[in-house]
Parts: sequence; structure tokens; C-alpha cells
Amino acid sequence: MSVIAFILLGSVVLLPAAGLLALRWATSTGQFRCPDKAALLPFDEVEPVGMETDCILGGNRR
Amino acid sequence: MINQSQTLQNKTLRALLPGDALTGGGAEGGKKAALAEIDASCRVPVLFFFLSGLAWLLAGTVLALVASIKLHTPGFLAGWEWLTFSNVRTAHLNTVVYGFASQISVGVTIWLMCRLCRIPLVAPGLITVANLFYNLGVTVGVGGILIGDSTAIEWLEMPRYATPILFVSYALIAVWTIVTFRLRAERHLYVSQWYLLAAVLWFPWLYGTAQVMLLIEPVRGVVQAAVNWWFAHNVLGLWFTPIGLASIYYFIPKVIGRPIHSYYLSVLGFWSLALFYNWNGMHHLVGGPLPAWMITVSIVASVMMLIPVITVAINHHFTMVGHFGKLKYSPTLRFMVFGAVSYTLASLQGVASAVRSISEVTHFTHHTIAHAHLGMYAFFTMVMFGAMYYILPRITQREWPSNGLISLHFWGVALGIVLYVVPMSIMGFIQGTMLNDAAVRFLDVVQFTLPWLKLRTLAGLLLAAGHVAFVINVGWLLVRMFEPYRKPVVSILTGEAETVAAAKLP
Amino acid sequence: MSYGPLLFLGILFTLATSWVGLVLLPHRQMGALGQHTDTNTAAIYPAARSGEAQQGAEHYRSLGCVYCHTQQVRPEGYGSDIERGWGRRRTVSRDYIHDKTVMLGTMRTGPDLTNIGERQADAAWHYRHLYNPQITSPGSIMPPHAFLFDVRTIGQAGRSTNALVLEGPFAPPAGQEVIPTRRAEQLVAYLRSLKSSGDLPEAPVKKEEAQ
Repeated sequence: MSVIAFILLGSVVLLPAAGLLALRWATSTGQFRCPDKAALLPFDEVEPVGMETDCILGGNRR
Repeated sequence: MINQSQTLQNKTLRALLPGDALTGGGAEGGKKAALAEIDASCRVPVLFFFLSGLAWLLAGTVLALVASIKLHTPGFLAGWEWLTFSNVRTAHLNTVVYGFASQISVGVTIWLMCRLCRIPLVAPGLITVANLFYNLGVTVGVGGILIGDSTAIEWLEMPRYATPILFVSYALIAVWTIVTFRLRAERHLYVSQWYLLAAVLWFPWLYGTAQVMLLIEPVRGVVQAAVNWWFAHNVLGLWFTPIGLASIYYFIPKVIGRPIHSYYLSVLGFWSLALFYNWNGMHHLVGGPLPAWMITVSIVASVMMLIPVITVAINHHFTMVGHFGKLKYSPTLRFMVFGAVSYTLASLQGVASAVRSISEVTHFTHHTIAHAHLGMYAFFTMVMFGAMYYILPRITQREWPSNGLISLHFWGVALGIVLYVVPMSIMGFIQGTMLNDAAVRFLDVVQFTLPWLKLRTLAGLLLAAGHVAFVINVGWLLVRMFEPYRKPVVSILTGEAETVAAAKLP
Repeated sequence: MSYGPLLFLGILFTLATSWVGLVLLPHRQMGALGQHTDTNTAAIYPAARSGEAQQGAEHYRSLGCVYCHTQQVRPEGYGSDIERGWGRRRTVSRDYIHDKTVMLGTMRTGPDLTNIGERQADAAWHYRHLYNPQITSPGSIMPPHAFLFDVRTIGQAGRSTNALVLEGPFAPPAGQEVIPTRRAEQLVAYLRSLKSSGDLPEAPVKKEEAQ
């Protein structure tokens, strides 16, 4: 049981610490700036936002 | 090798130009390849995985039908020892899980990874060797099950002499994915890439641990059950689910031309899934001979799954709002949305059945079987079908030959799986209630299930019809690869704006 | 902003938590669990299986019995396992220490078999049931396991002592008899060895007088 207790107590300290470090890293490198930009990654100039692909009976539609 | 029409060449040219123009954009990244170029580079390996996967699907469908008939008519094919219910049922699970679903997953992963990393396929040799090992492993494994070498460990039934072959394949796939990821031309990461990277890293770890602790150097006593369900539940949660979600996150926005509802939510959804899902396994052992703390931890983690499930549900369903009309035109969207809705339902059912008071009834009954098919089929397989409808025309540069077969496929499997899951869920619940009432004779419970089991065989026939329709369409598409490209009246490849949706998919 | 390495670490870290928690810790806690010796009666529980029964366990695994039969008794008040007479107490980790493959099962298409050796000790019943379940349990959907038996002509010495007693539609053609193979004998030895009702401190058996 002492091993379990040790691991539980250790993780209580380590997990939030890791989380805080990750958060600090994220804010300092601007990960939270404009996150929705990443949502545009599937699109490009050939198949931009607003263009439907795979309309099997209607072709691609802009 | 193929004579392509002028239209297609124009399209390829048109597709190449902006790709060149983009290279200045990625300061750290290399030259971003055009989508058409990437699709063409993926053709051979992805086709390998898809076609061998579909061959296993047909085998798995036949095995499923035999197993289903055997359960209500035990005399059916009873003379052959290698075709006992247990062997057929187990061979069915292993062919569809490892032969079919996993191979389609790998094909989809390859294509999505290349497209999102914006590079043509690298190291095709590595991935081809992985495919050969994979099919060898599944063949040896399923053969071993049928001759009675099954390990009787759920989801890990393939005998000890087959699993290392598969492990090599998974390791190669993981290496290939990491290499592709490292070489990516697009430095920014889309949420689908997180899920794919996670899945290919998690699975070899799960499979390796389970193999060592259960087959090579088996641990003692009920620790086996713990390792078994840690592995088996994570096959679903950390291998199939991430690949299914990665596909939905890519294809729904792509088909309807609209970015995902909230990128913030997708971050939350990914990390909460990563944290909670892998703790869920012990909910398969509620009431079993394991320490209470393990089961309680898993029940808590199962309930915590509400966070990623609701997050993902909001994201997927809200992206679709206002675009449901497009379900009429796009087979990919149809299968994807069916899968996305099923994911929400399957997850909620899973959370409910993990709770002690509900598990008391549903555990050990057909309710669990229904739940497994809701997750593995109505969610995952439907999403994979949708992905194949999108990918196959693009990598072969050929149109789907028959819209009628697409409709037959969709309606066959959609009705089939509803007819499977809904009655079986209800039946399982009643069965559990009867089992928990000691006044009801056990044989009466068995008799009660019979009509429902016959209904399941009917549902299986519908699913089989859908599978056959799909395989015919794919075969036809492949035949067309050897003919010159003919542009149909309406095309999904050339992307012509003037064509109007004159007809709809029934 | 390339957070590839962080993503990579996060992916490995999250799975590592349950790998430690649900795999390594239980192995530490229960992986070396031993037999229990009763201080009053000096009885050792659970007793090791005979070689014959161990062989039978392999057939139980190979035939896939686990897909329809569980080997676990849930606690009193949780399900009807004990009311149905499937066991006198719940099963605990120690009950399974001798199993080469632990086959708890997750499906009860057929009844639980944890204590089948106690509930049905008659070997002849098991043979007839395996040969064709309809003989002993009409309406069962268990498949017949006739391939575990040999049908042969009755010899000069007359009917063999271990031939199955079969009547009516289940009887073999005249002049023939049904004999269990070695596999059937070992499997039945295993089934008859299935008893998990020894008194344990962590799972005491309810005494008759206590009721």
C-alpha cells in the first residue's frame, strides 16, 4: 500500500506541476493567440473555405 | 500509365500552381505539395491497405452470419469442430477488428497524414512491408483460432506465434508516421494529426504490453484480467476512436467547406480523451474478483468521459448545423454524420453501462454486444466507409461508377446496424433483468432471447448486402483505372462549378 | 510554433499513468498472491489442480467455453449469482491463482461455471450434456460437442463400461456405442474440479447456523 500512497501523493504534486509548466509554455509562446487559425489548415487556395467537395452528383461547388 | 483527359491535367496544373506560391509562407517548413500530387503518391500503399481490408471484411461478414445463425440454431454446421460457435465468433471478431478495421484505419492514416503534413508519401517501402507483415499476421492468427489455438483472452485471441508478426507491422507503421511527421512541410498542426499521432504511438505500447504480460510471460491470477481489459478497452479507445475522430474532424469541414465549429473545444476534447479513456478498462469487470479500488477508478474515469464526448459532440454537430441539405449529395458526409451521431450515442451508452447499478443488469448480456457494435460499426466502420468514399476517387483519379450501389450500401448498412443495435440493446436489458431474478429459470432466459437472435441474423443479412454493394463498386472503380478517364456529366474530381445537382442520391 | 515534442510527450505521459495504475500496480499488489492456510483446520486453499484437470483447462480454453460461460460469482445483493446457487460466496482474486489462463468471461449465454464441480459432480451427466446438450437440458442453445466422442461398433466383449447411456432419438445406431475421447475425459475432469467455495478471510462462506 505504501507504494500506492507514494505514487498517489507524488502524482498529486507532479501532475498539476506539469500542467502549470505546459500552461506557462503555451502562454509564453503564444499558443492561445488566435487558435481558430489552426481550424483553417484543411483548406488551401485550390479548395478554400466555402468550397464544397465531394458533392457526388453536383461536382465541387463554390 | 493512364491516359488522363485534358480536364484532369488542367486540374493537376491548376492544383500545382498555388502550391508553389505557398512555399514562401512556411518559414521553417519545406515546399508544400499540392493535394493532387499527394493523393497520387499515396495510391499504391493506400490501395493495398484498403483492398486487403475489404477482403477481410467479406470474410468477417460471412463468419458473423454463421456465428449469428449458430446462436439460435445450435445444430447448424455443428459437425465441424473448427466451425464451433466460439471459433467462428472469435474468428469474426479478429478478422473485422484486425483484418478489416485496423487496415482501413492505417490506409486512412497514411492519406490524412500526408495531406495534413503537405508532403507526398515518403518511404513507400516501409509501409508496403508493414502491409505484407500485417496480412501475414492476420492470416496466421485467424487460421490459428480456427484450428483451436485461440488464447481465449478477449481481443487478444490470436495465438502467440501470430502476434509478434503483427507487432512488427504496428511498429513499422508508427515509425513511418513519425518520419512523415518530422518531414512535414506544413509546420502547423491540425487536430486530426494529434489524434493520428497518438493512435499510432499508443497502439504498439498497448499491444506490446498485452503480448508480454498475457502470452509470452503470463502474469498470475486476475492480474491477467486487469491487463486484458486495460488492453481490450484501449484498442477501442486509443486506437479506433482517435482515428475515427481524426477522420471526422477532417472530412466534415472538408466536404461542407466550413472550418470546425471551435478549435478550442477540439483541444479540450483531445486532452480529456487522452487522460480519461485509458483508465476505463476495468468497468468490464464490475462485480468481479478484483480489488474494489481498480473498478471504482475505472467507473469514475468512464463517467469523466462525458467531457471529451460532449466536447466532440458539440464540435461535430454544430459544424453541421445549416448544412444538412448536403447529406443528399455527398456519400462521405452521410457516412461521417451517421458515424459522428453514433459516436455520441455509443459513448453515452458506454458511460451509463459503466455505472454499478446499470452494469448489474447489462453486464454478461447481449446489451454489451449491442454496445460493441454501436461503437465499432455504427461509429467507426461508418466513418471509415465515408473516408474511403472520399479517398478512393482521389487516389485513383476515377469517379465512383455507380451511385445506385452507393445508395444500396448506405441504406443496407444503416438500416442493418439500427436493426442490430436497437433490438439487441433492449433485449439485453430485459435478459439482464430476468437473469437477476432468481425465480426465472435459466433456460427460460435462453428461450426468451431466441426470437431476438433471429432478428439479428436478418440485420446481418442487410449489412452483408451493403458490404457486397460497396465491394462491387470498389472493384468496378479499379477496373476503370485501366481504362482511359471518361468525364461523367457530373464529376467530383474536376470540381466544375457549373454542374448542378440535377439528381440526388436516393 | 511547432509543439511536436510537447505533443509527443503528452501522448506518452497520459498512457503511462494508466499503465502504471492499472497494469503495474495490480501486478505488484496481486501478482504474487499465494495459497491460504486455515489456522484451525490446516486446510490449504485453493488446492492445486490434478494434471488431468490442467489438461482439461487447455481444452476449455481451446474450445472457447469462456465466450458463453463466466467463472465469477458476484457479491451477495449484486445480481442473483448467489441466489441462483452459482456459489456460496463471491469469488476473489485468490480463487484464480492456479489458472494458467484466467477465464472470468463477460457473457452469460450459458450459466456460470465457477462451482460446476460442486453443483454437478456426476461425470456421466457431463458426458451426455457435452455429447448433446438437448439430452440433459432441453431448449439449451449450447452446440453439441459430438466431436469429443467416438462412435464405434460394440466389440466381442460387449458394451464398454465407459459408453454413454443414451436413449430415444439420441441413441447411436444398433450395435454401436458412444465413447468419450481423452479430450472429453480431461475436459470433464476440469469441469468437476471447478470449486471456488473455500473459506477465506477476505471472502468468508456464510455458515448455515448464521442464517
